[in-house]
Amino acid sequence: MSFFLSLLLAGISVGSIYALVALGLNLTFLTTRTLNFGHGSIMMICAIVIAYFASLGYAVPLLLIGSLALAVFLGLCVERIARPALRGGGSMGWVVSTLGFGILLQGIAAREFGSQAVAFPAIIFSAADFFIVGGVFVAYQYLVVLVVSIMLILIIELFLRRTRWGHAVRAVSLDAELGVVNGLPVKLIITMSFVCSALLAAVAGILVAQVGGTVDPAFGFNLVLFGFVAAVIGGMGSSVGALVGGLIVGILSKMVAGYVSSAAEHAVAFALLMLMLAIRPQGIFVQPEVNKA
Amino acid sequence: MTALRSHFTGVITHPWFVVALAAGLAFFVMNTTTGTVQILTFILINVIFAQSINVLTGLGGQISLGHAGFFGIGAYCTAVLTRTYGLDMAVSIPLAALLGGAAGYLLSFPAGRVREVYLAMMTLGFGMIFYEVVREWVSVTGGTMGLSGVPSAALRTASILGVPLNQIAYFWVVLVVTLIVVALLSNMTRSHVGRALFAVHHNEVAAGSLGISHASTKRTAYTLSGLLAGLAGAFYAHLVGYLGPESFAVHRSIEVLVISIVGGLGSIAGQIISAAIFTYLPEALQAFAEFQFIVYGVILTFSLIVLPKGIAGLILDPPRFIRPSALAAARARKPELVWNDSVGRVAVKVEGLTKRFGGLTALDDVSLTLKPGNITALIGPNGSGKSTLVNVTCGIYEPTEGRVMLGDTDISGLPDYKVAALGVVRTFQDPRLVPSFTVRENLLLGAHCLGRQSGMAAALALPAAMREEAEFLAEIEAVMELTGLSDFADTAVDSLPYGYRRMAEVARALMARPHTILLDEPAAGLSESEMEMLGGIIRKMKEAGLTIMLIEHHMDFLNDLVDDVVVLDSGQVIYRGDIDGMRKDQAVIAAYLGQEEEEEV
Repeated sequence: MSFFLSLLLAGISVGSIYALVALGLNLTFLTTRTLNFGHGSIMMICAIVIAYFASLGYAVPLLLIGSLALAVFLGLCVERIARPALRGGGSMGWVVSTLGFGILLQGIAAREFGSQAVAFPAIIFSAADFFIVGGVFVAYQYLVVLVVSIMLILIIELFLRRTRWGHAVRAVSLDAELGVVNGLPVKLIITMSFVCSALLAAVAGILVAQVGGTVDPAFGFNLVLFGFVAAVIGGMGSSVGALVGGLIVGILSKMVAGYVSSAAEHAVAFALLMLMLAIRPQGIFVQPEVNKA
Repeated sequence: MTALRSHFTGVITHPWFVVALAAGLAFFVMNTTTGTVQILTFILINVIFAQSINVLTGLGGQISLGHAGFFGIGAYCTAVLTRTYGLDMAVSIPLAALLGGAAGYLLSFPAGRVREVYLAMMTLGFGMIFYEVVREWVSVTGGTMGLSGVPSAALRTASILGVPLNQIAYFWVVLVVTLIVVALLSNMTRSHVGRALFAVHHNEVAAGSLGISHASTKRTAYTLSGLLAGLAGAFYAHLVGYLGPESFAVHRSIEVLVISIVGGLGSIAGQIISAAIFTYLPEALQAFAEFQFIVYGVILTFSLIVLPKGIAGLILDPPRFIRPSALAAARARKPELVWNDSVGRVAVKVEGLTKRFGGLTALDDVSLTLKPGNITALIGPNGSGKSTLVNVTCGIYEPTEGRVMLGDTDISGLPDYKVAALGVVRTFQDPRLVPSFTVRENLLLGAHCLGRQSGMAAALALPAAMREEAEFLAEIEAVMELTGLSDFADTAVDSLPYGYRRMAEVARALMARPHTILLDEPAAGLSESEMEMLGGIIRKMKEAGLTIMLIEHHMDFLNDLVDDVVVLDSGQVIYRGDIDGMRKDQAVIAAYLGQEEEEEV
């Protein structure tokens, strides 16, 4: 029983990280109907600069601010790079250019910081801080991840539903052209969505690194795949969907890892993705769109 | 400049040039270092691998971020078969290619259902799963330790049909196979297979309207692509002699994508040039190898912006989709219009058709009959459901209620490509031609559903396949004559004025030899003289006995053409009869101009 419980808690913890990744992917999907394949590399680079400079003795709070500023800059870069491709229509362009940007970041990180894992400093709690639930040790870090995820999801949902800017984002998501016609600052909204998405990536990256204890240049790719599966399960564009999808993927993959084989984690995520696309491609929390030919 | 480019293209894509180049290489390897032979063999392997991406992405338009998976399947298959089971390479390599093809076929089912974001992620996932499986399935793949002792030319442990292979002989084997692959692909691209792939790539709905099934076309693309990648992987295995999972990680998928994009998607020659550059550079320049990932990142980020058609787009003419020899054969034939055998004999009927989109009822219990050999006009204000009616009839939408009958057979719910193959062909409100195709190529696309020759026959350029192609090409001459397109036969459609594009679409529909043709606003945007010409074509169709439905707003145009008129408003039939009756009908007047009372408010 306690084995089950510990798997469940681990699942919730990684699940909330996947939810954060999914949330970041969702934001840009809402405004542009595209996916940023460089998302994982932004997570990685924002975490790795903290790890690297902390090891050189720089103050961690300062690095946190620097890392978030870097995220803003990278978000602007991605938007600038993807812009011509977005206008051109067709998916090839932006898949390839955002992926290229991700690989570029990864290549730079591997050159500058080495391809080995770098130890990540303890920011709020160390790995040794824990409490006990039902006979299971729970690291405080897990709790922090969960709380931060839920808070961010609440903030984003409230923003989208209750504020004028949120309504504007949703309008752009439905029909960007109509938004332009109605005088919405569509370009600004798209740019901001990329910046916010990059900030979410940074937060997610820092949290993952915090829980895992290390970062290496390759760590973003896997997370983006899991985050994407979470987003698809919940429904692309839905924040609540991201949380639920993230938890489903997290818990299921940890359960399979615990009871079947730790190697099967990816296969489970992939199988979930296939299943979801076959049964309900729009996800749990999104109504199907009516397409006119 | 363009002349120079055409000349250059003519030379380097000429079969004799390719053969001469291959012969030169075959001699060259006998007098060079083993290191150079190794690199040259690797270039050939990357040529085959890049062609695999070219088939799927360049022609089929389906992106793949997990092609290392197929490559790895081929590599491990032949490695295990030769090393563990002692099979001969002459057997194991074809089996490896087939296994890659089978994997591609299987992946096409989930992948065929999704596109864009989802497809990119799914293929990325496929590649990652393969990598994980290789790492964990230790008993077969050796896990992270890898699989050593694979028969290899470099270690002189390889043999084919019992004949030992040294590096030079292995290079020859790979060279011959590469030549065969390139020849088959180049034939296939310039056949109905290549054109169908490209049509699906460009617009699935339009392709469906010509009888091209997007599902089976994509299946072909995935299978073929998997097969080629598997073949490349198998050759790779016997080149290096050791397989580890790291060789098949994401970066290999990225690398081949870079090769293919930089070479120019869609161009076979471009792939070869690019494969040579990107295999040679990292070996030759230490600095390049060091910055490889960064360079690839930069290339991917900016290539589609800076050089959207790659190297091929820069130095070569755009690839064409008809073989010059087929054109020559067609010239020897008499241009002749061919009509469908069942022309004027089967009626299309819709009965009680209702179509709802969520809460919106676009069609509400519509019944009508297209009498054989008649011209029926379908008119109605914008949003009255005219196009929806065409879309349901042609199988693009499934009816919510009611049915569509072709003679005595119920065709409701049949997919669009099957409806087209049954002889019911439509055009679109906005011309949906393949923009980079020439007029002739687009028209040939129209004949797709008439073709009886297999893709294999086309790839081998068998006489029967060439005859069929020539037959269609001769018919195209006649159709172009009829539609006034003869002067623009070899002009790319995207550089044609709008009126000609409309005409080309009607011509393309005619090439499918329909017995029933549904024209969705064919006169929209046409000039007076073009409209006259269109009227002439429509009369010609009627003379031949075709059943015609015409959606049109232009009353003068319809006046002396049509036999019956059906008026739709808000999804309901409000009038049927002749055109004079319609002009006096109060319900029709109200639908177009609004009620008297309402106007006064």
